[in-house]
Parts: sequence; structure tokens; C-alpha cells
Amino acid sequence: MDPDVHLGVYICHCGVNISHTVDMDECRQFAEQRTDVRVARDFKFMCSDPGQELIKQDIQERGINRVVVACCTPLMHELTFRRACQGADLNPFLMQIANIREQCAWVHNNRELATEKAKAIINGAIARVRLHSELEPMRAEVNPATMVVGAGIAGIQAALDVAEAGHPVYLVEREASIGGHMARFDKTFPTLDCAACILTPKMVSIGHRPNVHLKTLTEVEDVQGFVGNFTVRLRERARYVTPDCTSCGECVKVCPVQVPDTFEEKLGPKTAIHKAFAQAVPNTFRIEKQGRPPCKQACPVHQDAAGYIALIREGRFREACALVRRQNPLPFICGRVCYHPCEQDCSRGNVDEPLAIQNLKRFLMDWEAKNLPRPDPPEIKERRTQRVAIIGAGPAGLTAAHDLSLKGYPVSVYEATDVLGGMLWLGLPAYRCPRDIVMRDIHYIEQMGVEFIRGKALGRDFSLHDLFAQGFGAVFVGTGAHKGFDLDIPGEDLEGVESGIDYLRNINLGLQQRTGRRVAVIGGGNTAIDAARTARREGAEVTILYRRTLAEMPAEKEELDDARAEGIDVRWLTAPTAIIGDGSVVTAIRCVDMELGEPDASGRHRPIPKSHSERELPFDQVIKAISQQPDSDWTQRSQGNGRGTLILTRWETLEVNPDSLQTGVEGVFAGGDVVSGPATVVAAMGQGRRAAEAIDKYLCGSPLTDFTTHLPPPNPREGFEERPHENALPYSKTPRVPRTIMPQLDPRRRIHTDDEVNLGFTEEQAQREASRCLSCGVCVECLECQRVCEPKAVKHDMTDKVDEVKVGQVLIATGHQLLDSRAMQQYGYGRLDNVVSSLEFERMLNSTGPTGGEVLCKNGEKPRAIGIVHCVGSRDENHHRYCSRVCCMYALKFAHLVTERTDAQVYQFYIDMRAFGKGCEEFYSRVLREGSTIIRGKVAEVVPSQRVDHRGRNGYLLMRCEDTLVGRFREIPVDMVVLCNALEPRADSVSLAQRFSLSRSPDGFFLERHPKLDPISTMNDGVYIAGTCQGPKDIPDSVAQAQAAASRILGLIAKGEVLIDPIRATIEEKSCSGCRMCNAVCPYHAITFEREQSVSKVNQALCKGCGTCVSTCPAGAIAGAGFTDDQLEAELEAVLV
Amino acid sequence: MTTATSTQTFTDTIDKSQTTPVWQPKIVAFLCNWCSYTGADLAGVSRIQWSPFVRTVRVMCSGRVDPTLVMKAFRLGADGVLISGCHPGDCHYSEGNYKAMRRVRLLRRVLQGFGIHPDRLRLVWVSASEGDVWAKVTDEMTETVRNLGQLRLES
Repeated sequence: MDPDVHLGVYICHCGVNISHTVDMDECRQFAEQRTDVRVARDFKFMCSDPGQELIKQDIQERGINRVVVACCTPLMHELTFRRACQGADLNPFLMQIANIREQCAWVHNNRELATEKAKAIINGAIARVRLHSELEPMRAEVNPATMVVGAGIAGIQAALDVAEAGHPVYLVEREASIGGHMARFDKTFPTLDCAACILTPKMVSIGHRPNVHLKTLTEVEDVQGFVGNFTVRLRERARYVTPDCTSCGECVKVCPVQVPDTFEEKLGPKTAIHKAFAQAVPNTFRIEKQGRPPCKQACPVHQDAAGYIALIREGRFREACALVRRQNPLPFICGRVCYHPCEQDCSRGNVDEPLAIQNLKRFLMDWEAKNLPRPDPPEIKERRTQRVAIIGAGPAGLTAAHDLSLKGYPVSVYEATDVLGGMLWLGLPAYRCPRDIVMRDIHYIEQMGVEFIRGKALGRDFSLHDLFAQGFGAVFVGTGAHKGFDLDIPGEDLEGVESGIDYLRNINLGLQQRTGRRVAVIGGGNTAIDAARTARREGAEVTILYRRTLAEMPAEKEELDDARAEGIDVRWLTAPTAIIGDGSVVTAIRCVDMELGEPDASGRHRPIPKSHSERELPFDQVIKAISQQPDSDWTQRSQGNGRGTLILTRWETLEVNPDSLQTGVEGVFAGGDVVSGPATVVAAMGQGRRAAEAIDKYLCGSPLTDFTTHLPPPNPREGFEERPHENALPYSKTPRVPRTIMPQLDPRRRIHTDDEVNLGFTEEQAQREASRCLSCGVCVECLECQRVCEPKAVKHDMTDKVDEVKVGQVLIATGHQLLDSRAMQQYGYGRLDNVVSSLEFERMLNSTGPTGGEVLCKNGEKPRAIGIVHCVGSRDENHHRYCSRVCCMYALKFAHLVTERTDAQVYQFYIDMRAFGKGCEEFYSRVLREGSTIIRGKVAEVVPSQRVDHRGRNGYLLMRCEDTLVGRFREIPVDMVVLCNALEPRADSVSLAQRFSLSRSPDGFFLERHPKLDPISTMNDGVYIAGTCQGPKDIPDSVAQAQAAASRILGLIAKGEVLIDPIRATIEEKSCSGCRMCNAVCPYHAITFEREQSVSKVNQALCKGCGTCVSTCPAGAIAGAGFTDDQLEAELEAVLV
Repeated sequence: MTTATSTQTFTDTIDKSQTTPVWQPKIVAFLCNWCSYTGADLAGVSRIQWSPFVRTVRVMCSGRVDPTLVMKAFRLGADGVLISGCHPGDCHYSEGNYKAMRRVRLLRRVLQGFGIHPDRLRLVWVSASEGDVWAKVTDEMTETVRNLGQLRLES
């Protein structure tokens, strides 16, 4: 007995809802006997006014200070009875509901057991409420700013209503324009209003209202806070066009990429830069980019390959050449000798063969040489005074010189030999890389104002110190790797044994160089092939000896094929053990056969000599081409002189910072083969480019970080695994087109000349090859749109923006999607031409659609008969059990429009006709009168007809069904079938529900708080739902729901304040040991550790009252108001009685 | 007695003529407010019958269920304990249900040490729209506990 506790128990009959199953008298008598219960009553309807009055009277007259109401679920009437208590000046939190309806009377049919259970539930509530204490609800201000997620008709309407009242609205839409599904419809049932005519004025006024903050291409990433005070994180995807866009459409004319338009249900094309539709809001174009094309990503200088290929396809060679030159300082050379990593990653390789990207570039440069003999050097915008010295005129040095010169620096290039180009001239044979080609690229760079100083070598003619003394601000060292490796076998000092690189240099410089009659080339790289083919042209019989097999050979396959075509013999798995001479001259090589063992560190199989396989092969010259290394002697003679020291690796290469490429000497940068060891032209160019960026930063005094020249490499080919872009066919279904082969000089002729072997593409060949490109990622960055944009609104370097917005309430109006009827194979969608979805048909009917409003079969003919199938995927146990609600009516609308516009006969196949709304039944009658044929029966299948009709046409479709009114099987011939696909929840509704703590009903649509009494609220206070995200509905219902939600939102804004249940955790500091376990479990980071007092504290504003910390605290120091340990334990004990 | 049709549950099979009441299991269910309690309500609204031997206790989140509460329930005479929360990823409080999941895993092992069969404690996920699931879960749990028999703890 507690003299202070005066309990009143009120048991509700709920009409007969409860009393039907639960014995009211028994419950009341049971309650009367409980300790401290002063009064127990049962009543027909406790929630009615007289019922509530009973409670109030007892509180006021009999001093009741604890109330138990045994009735329906607390989610229904807890607030009602709390208010009743409050009306009688009793703290509302001293009332407890015993749920004996939903969780007792309605779920049991054994009266005895149900009564027993009801008694236990009441007992639990009594035990619990005894321990309740007075609580005060928390008050919070309501931020009047509101967020509407989804800008279809529902979202637009709600946003307008809230904005009209003068409050700020954030309207968030993931697409580029607002309008949603409605913007794609033609007419709307039953009134036949034009959808655009009634929607676009609303869209326009969204654009005009200053207090509507329109966020297109934006998605919600995260939601924090509570009703009245939400913080929402938004991610706005880059549009690549600024609001300066005047929507003139010039960019569309020059965009070379066309992909299927999703707005048109892929029935028509769109360009990569486009506006969704004529009346789009915002009236700004947008560039669709779905990732960087793999070819561009793979290239060390990030050449816009897909861009110039698209321009070649269009025959716009001049623009394509300019684009090549934008990223590539040595385009002629790259068109010939690049090892084209772009082709290895080309998505086309997933279909058939990669594009011939290198050959296309070469074609362009050949075209340029013919048509634009003197390309203008690029404009240099600003001039700088600090001078930069470049050592070595190879590809790395030339690239650095080009880039630095473009940035305005005066550049001097020092070259040790008398020719420019480095390895391009000294190492590459002329038949691969003609000298006039090399000179063309170098002339272009020279024209930019770069000074070339020939015959001056670092360490021989000058030192690094001299350069700084002459006033150079920075130095780039790109001296290459010109020293051939030795074989380390006996006989290497014999006459006739030389290194491949020396051999090639002597030939290329026209110096004295003997070539033998029978030449052995040792090695399997490109230098070996180059040396072999050069010796072949000098008239020798050439054999290449390689110690591994073809699979391990590092040389390019095309080069090897060409070499063999020229009659060069290749012996795999053969290694020399000694070079044998007669006196001082080579006569033979002693070789041994090899076999492959386990893979070594480089992943290649280690060759192992076979025993007793030694033999001698006769040769009179041996060319060693196993690898090169830098000649590092100069480093001894040229050091930093107080600026630091050059450090060499064990491969004799220079050690540099991997990001900035700066050497141990301040202001001295290095790149190319001298850093990486022998590598490729384009890799050296990549390093030259990075060094130029670093030198620019160095000279500007910026930190040597955050480089942009190399695009971030993670997740190579991400997003291109199955298809080149979202709207494209998967690789497996893309038609195959073989790669165009470049014509070559006849091998019998070419071994007698230094003429170029590859002859180049014709314009037709190039365009044919370019048309194989799949336009990975849609926009291929040809930058043509940027060129023609008058207001300079195109910005290809835009990035996604993440923004945080504070709002008081959120309306979710994210809409629906259509079921993909491919799953229902019997209808042939996706397999048979002329079986279309409802939305496709809608676009076809639309005067701005792909057919200009004409109903046409795929072959362009007008259909003679059209069959419309209702309930595709809805009211179907295999797909969705629910009715999609709008299909019957829009199917009738289709029938009307088809009858109005064509001579086609229309057949409707329905299960039940649902003309539920205002004016719908009348519309149904009207369409019937217009002569549509209505057949009651579900279509079993649609099959292509094998027969020829009386007009001699075939190719029509047969719809088979059972006419359930006539009771006969029917087969109707039609030219077109329209499927009324079910509306279904959007694919991402699960993740959206998680972000907003929404529940979903079994059909997947968002769950309202109550299906009848609160259809727009959710379980999350302050978050509302409207439109088809809540369930299938038509436009009037969506708008009505949106307006209802807006009025709820405005109501709360007007109130200005929300009361929040004081269900919060508090920490008793005395008991807190400071273990901080609660800090870690709180999902809202509401608990922080106070270092000074060594205790944890709860921030009441952040706490949401889940109680996880309460159950975690090992000291029992945390109490969760309303759900304390004592209260729960008392309830537990009581229900178990 | 009601004439309303109902799904067949074991309660229908109880022989009412018996004078000495047969042992019936006592099961306590802790339901989270947002998903499972609403789900159990939905079973009621849809009139889906479920076991009358399951008594529910509402908590805000399944993460609130303290291991000591479960132990106390067994000590107070419960033969089985159900904890029901939102589906993983759907927790109203983001991750309370994961906390519950970890605790229950451990607790089931601890229970064995006390001689309590781990199947007497079960954690389930029931969403606000899964009234039928809730009914099925309670019936299953009742059947499990019935098969395990009355829990006798030595004090």
C-alpha cells in the first residue's frame, strides 16, 4: 500500500470489440482487488466524451493520481487520454494504456484465455503506472523552411502551397528537370486535359518563386534531427552547365554523341548535352556524364580519345585534330609509336575487338599534315619571367617544355646530340617513326617559343650549378636511358657484338655501322624487334633469340607479327651461354634450350636451362637488346652545390618524389626513362606533364601537393563492367563489327626500304572504325559544346556539390516506377517488335514525342488494330497483388485517342473494369460508345503470326485469351500491343525509407501512420508522404494528398512550436564510472564524456530516447524517462502473474 | 463464444471440460515501438489470431532490452522470451536492432550456462506491416516452448 498512490482503472468495451471476447466484469473485479486501486470502472466507449469525463471526474473528485485505461493500442488513443488527464490537472505521463484490443480481444477467440491475458495486461499497466513520475514534454521551435523530396505533380503542388504561404521551400529532384511522370503524359483521363497544359504553368511558377529553392540532379544523402529541426545533407550531381545557359541549343548541333533518350522511353535519341524536354524547369541544359571513358583514364596524358573518335565519326576532322592537340604535345609521334594502353582498356573489347585508337589518331594527324600544313600554336595567355631549363629533348622533356611554355614560362631545352627527339630519333627506326613526323611535332613546340640548344650535355658541357647561376628558376632532367645492359657471358668483347641501342643510334644518325650477314638479336622487347627489323633492312638474315615464350614477350604483338612477316626468325626458349669467336671476330653463339619454371617476382615464368641441350648457332654479328639503363656518369660531375644531392637507385635511375618528381636537389625535377628505367613514349610524356605541373607550383611558391595532371586512378573501369552507359545495350547484345585493318606496305618490298610500313586510313576507313566507338559514359568530352557556347555556360570540370540544409518538416513525394514487363515473357515485351509499354505508348501519342504524336509500328506503318492488355503485373500473384488503380482509365484514354487519331480498331482486354473516380464511369461509357471492343479476359499470350493476311501482309501479332463473358477461346490479330504495366515502388525506396526512418507496407510503398485517419503522416514525426510513393493513385488524388500534406505542414509552422515526448535518457552522475560505453552505442552521438568531472552526459536535444545506452550501462547509471528499469521490471513481473 | 472464423491455432484444441488446468507456457515478448509493436497491432486490426500465452511489453527500441531484463523474466516465471525489432537497416534509431542482435547471440550462450535452453530466447524481426509474420512467430515460439516444457530454475 502506498498512501500517495490513488489508482483509477478504466476498462473500455469498445462497443463490442473488446467485450465480445474479454469478460469485462471479471477484469473490473480483478482490477478492484489490486493494491492502491481506488476505483475501477468499465464503460462502453472510454474515448467518447462521457468516457473521458469519467476519468476527469475521478481525478478531481476522488483524488485519483494514476490512471490506467484498458482499451485499444496506445498508438491510437494515448494522446486522447493524456489530454483528458491534463484537462483535470493531472500530469499526462501518469496515465498508462493497457492494450487489450489489438493485442488481446482481436487476436484470440477463446474468451477464457483472452480474459486471463487481458487481466495480465491490465496488471502490468497498474504495476508500471505506480512507478511513473511527472514528466514535462520538451518544446522545440519549428523551422518554417520545408523540404519536398521529389518534384512530380505532388511535390510541385505541395511546394507551391507552402511557398504561397510565404515560407521557404527546398524542392529536391533527382532528375535534371521537375515534372515527374506527368510531364511525359499526353492527355489525362477522364477530362482529357493536356497534361503539359495544366502542369507547365505550375512548373514555371516553381521557377519564378524566390522562396522555392529548386535543387535538381540532387539526392538526399542523410537526415538528422527531429520534427521542426531536421538537418538534411544533399548531394547535387554536377550539371556541367551553369545557370548562365540561355537554352539557345547551339550545343546540341555540335554534340557528336547520340544515345537513347530515357525521357522518351528510349524511342528516340538525345545528345550528350541536352534539355530533358522543351518546357523543362530549370531551363538549363545538362551534360550527361556517367564516368570517365576507360581509354581516357588509361592514357598517361589523358588524351580525349573518345572525344576525337566521336568527331571523326561525324567527319569533323579539323575539330578532332584540335582536340588531339589539347592534351597531346606529340600527337604525330603518338599516332605512330604509342603502345596504346587506351586500346587495352577499350570497352569495345568486351564486344569484339578494341577500337584502333592509335591508328585513328594517326589518321587525324595525317589529315592535318595534308590539310592544315601549319597549325597555329596555342595562344599563351600570360607571360612569366622565371626561366626553366629542360635537359634532354626526348618525349618527357618535350612534353614538359610544351606544358611550361603554355603556362607562359620561357623554356630552354638542352640536347646532348645534334638531333631532337631523344629516343624517338635515336632509338626508333624510320620505318616506324618517319623523321619528318618527329620534326613536325618538334616544330610545333618550337613555334610556341621554346628554345632548343643542341650538342650541349649535362655533366660534360655544363652543370646544374651553372644553370641556376644563369638564372634558371627550375630544371627538368629527362636524359633518358641510353646504356645497354651486358649479357654477362664470355665473348662479349668480341668484334661484332654490340648493344641494340648503340646499333640503332648509329644507323639512325647515319654513322658508320657494320651490319653482318647473319645477325642474332638477343632479347624480346621492342628494342630487340626494332634492331632486328633494321638489320633486316640492311640486308641481313636475322634471328631473334628469346629465353621465354611468345606469351612472356614484352614486345608489341603487331611489331612481332610485322617482323616475322618480313622473314625474321624467332627462336623462343633459347638463351646464349657464350659468344664464340675466331680470333677477335664473332663466329657463333653457344645456346642452350630453356623450359619455364615457377613464376618469379614479376609474375613471369622463370626460364630454366635444359641439361644437354647446348649447341652452337653460326652468326657474324650479335646485337644485345635485353634492356637499357641511364648513363649516370654525369651525376658525379654535376651535383646540387648546396641545394641537395642527387640520389641514384640500384638501377642507376634517379630517385625522385613519386608525386612531385622532384629530385634530391631543390628545384631539379626529373622524369622519363632516367627515372622509370626504359619505358614507353607515352609514359615518359605523362611524367613530363606531371613535372611541368610541379615546376609551375614550385615557381609559384605553392606546396607540391594536390596534383591534377593525373586523374585519380582508383576503381579502373568502374561502371563499365556490363555496358558502356546506362542507356546502352549490354556488351553481349551489341552487334559485332570487326576492327578496321590498316593497310601495310608489302613485306617483300618493305625490307628494301626505310619507308613507313603502316600506310594509314582513308577517311571512309577512319569513319567506319570510329563508328565502332560505344561512347562510354555518354559524354566523351570533345568540348565542342564548350567551344560554341556563347554565354560560356558549359563547364566540363564541375564537380558534385554536397550541401547541408536545415528544415522543419519534410514531404516525401518520390513517386513510382513502371514494372518491367520483360519478366512476363508470354507478352513478348522486349522480344517482339510492336509490343510496347504504356509509357512508350504515351510518348508515341504525345505531339512532342519521338513520332510527333503519330501511332506507328516499328516499320513506320500505321497499325490496323491495337490490343491493350490491362493488369500487366498488377492483381497478379506472381508480381503485385494490388490493383494499380490507374490502368483501366488510361487504357480507356488510349482507346479514345487512338480512335480519334487513327483508323485502327482497338481491343481492350480487362479483368474487371475499375472506373472509380469522379467522371470516370461517364468516360467509360463514352469510350464504349465510340466503338472500342472490350473483351473480358486475361491475355494468355501474344505470338507473332505465321500466316499471311488477306492483304498479303504478315508480321502481325496474335493475342490469345479466353473471353470469359462468352466463354470462348479467342485469337485476335493486331499490329500493336500496349501493356498496362503495374505501378510499383521505386527501386531505391528501401534506401530512402532507411534514410527517413519510414516503414513500408508489404507491397513496398511507404507506410502511412494510419490508412484512413492519417494517410499522409509517417511514423517519423515531421515527415509526410504524398502521391504514388504511398500507393498507386491518379493525378487528382496525388494533388489532393499533396495539398493535405502542405496544410499539415503549414499548420505546424503556424503553431511555431512542437511538443516532444520527454522520452529521454539521463545519466546519474554519482553512479557514472566514466567507462564511456554509452558514448559508443548512441546512434546520435548525444552522449559525450566530460573530462573534468570524468562522467558522461546526455545532450537532451540530440537524444531520441531509444534507450540503447540504458541497457548498455554496466553501472545502471542511465535512466530512460518513461521506460526506466523499475517500470519495465514491475510491468514484467505483473504480466507474468 | 464467438462464431467468427479464425485461423486454426493450438488454443482451439484445448479441452475445456478438463477441470485441472494443463500447464500452459508463459512467454514474454519485448516489442520495439516502431516496427514490431505496430506489426502486432496490425495482426489485431487484421484479426489474425496469435498465441494468447505471449504477453507483450513495449519498449522504444529492441536495443533497450537489457540482458538483465531477460534474466529477470526467466526468474519471474517466463518459460520463453521473445525480442522483436525492426528489420536490419530499418531501425527507427538506425542501429539499435544490431545491438540487440549482438546481445542476444551472447545471451543465448550464457543461458546455457544457467541450464536454460537457448531456444527459450529468440530474437525476431517484424516490421510494422508484418502482422502475419508476428502471428506466425508467436505461434512458433509457443510451440517451441511447449516442447521444451516448463522452465524450472533452482533458486
